[in-house]
Amino acid sequence: MGTRTNGFFPVIFLTLIVFISVAALTLTDAITKDKIELAKEDEIARMLITLFPQMDGFTYDEQNDLYIPLAEQQPLGRAFIAEQSGYSGVISILVGLEPDTTLRGIRIIFQQETPGLGAKIVESFFLQQFPGLAVDDIKLTKKGGKVDAITGATTSSSAVVEGVRKAILDKLNQLGRET
Amino acid sequence: MHSFTKNFLRGIIRSNPTFILLLGLCPTLAVSTSLDNAVGMSVAFTCVLLASNIIISLIRNHVPVRVRIPVFIVIIATLVTIVDLMLQGFIPALSKSLGMYIPLIVVNCIILGRAEAFASKNSTTNSIADALGIGIGFAWAMILISLIRQLLGTGKLDLFGRHLFTVPGLGDNPVAIFLLPMGAFFVIGVLLALFRWMGVSTGE
Repeated sequence: MGTRTNGFFPVIFLTLIVFISVAALTLTDAITKDKIELAKEDEIARMLITLFPQMDGFTYDEQNDLYIPLAEQQPLGRAFIAEQSGYSGVISILVGLEPDTTLRGIRIIFQQETPGLGAKIVESFFLQQFPGLAVDDIKLTKKGGKVDAITGATTSSSAVVEGVRKAILDKLNQLGRET
Repeated sequence: MHSFTKNFLRGIIRSNPTFILLLGLCPTLAVSTSLDNAVGMSVAFTCVLLASNIIISLIRNHVPVRVRIPVFIVIIATLVTIVDLMLQGFIPALSKSLGMYIPLIVVNCIILGRAEAFASKNSTTNSIADALGIGIGFAWAMILISLIRQLLGTGKLDLFGRHLFTVPGLGDNPVAIFLLPMGAFFVIGVLLALFRWMGVSTGE
């Protein structure tokens, strides 16, 4: 341990350490920034292709925050990201719409629900209930909709369903206002 | 070389961070739900511990005593952020599953504990030995706990997407409680009792 413990030396030392640390972080950020962006885009592209299997590319509409899957330059539908608080933390969902407003399907991008219970929202038996639903049917069965909740994980199921429905309504509202 | 081996071996059993020192139990409880997480967390943890022990032992003669803890924390936080960014950029799948627990390494008391108790008082070589030993100690503890939790909680054993085997009779009806935080307490409690009974006692 250093012997010079009085005066300004500790302050200067700590400041120096902080500067070095900032420099190291700036450098790391510069190296990884593009990679991280790329990884996120890859992730979205991978999920889009499971919703729109015939797509051969996609564009991102920045103004409306929409992903537009394309096949031979023709749009196949629309997709966007919905977020809703689940049982623990935010669930982030990729919502795919047909060219009309029926649901193409959903994919879970990020969730931290209880393993073994709420985390089952990523499994296909739950997700396969969504394709083809009209906006008003995206509710849990007991609330008059057409989606069965996962046993023991009503909160997580409900969060997904409500998040998707609200996001679609909001998005359609937003698009309706602009055109 | 003798002290290198001694410092290396100490962390594995005699002062195992999880089972003997009982440090860093928060991330251990939270992340040990699957073998993948345990392996990923152990590797990330060991990298940070190794780097922090090296840096701190190198500057140990210059750090003013009064600001040593802030200095250690800044160094550890910087290293963790670097590991976090690297994982996000290069191994996004692992980064996704470890999620919020990587930033939690900053407050993992094992790392700060080793900085304060060991690296700030010992040579760089010995600090490297200490970091590797503690890292391996943490890793086998994590792997043992997550193995038990995954086997009982999901009824099967998967490693990095490959299915290894299904426990007969548990595959369809897993004991999901073992994946919840209370299951982690059960497992750690029983293991601690077991190690005490076997006579592995505290020894620094």
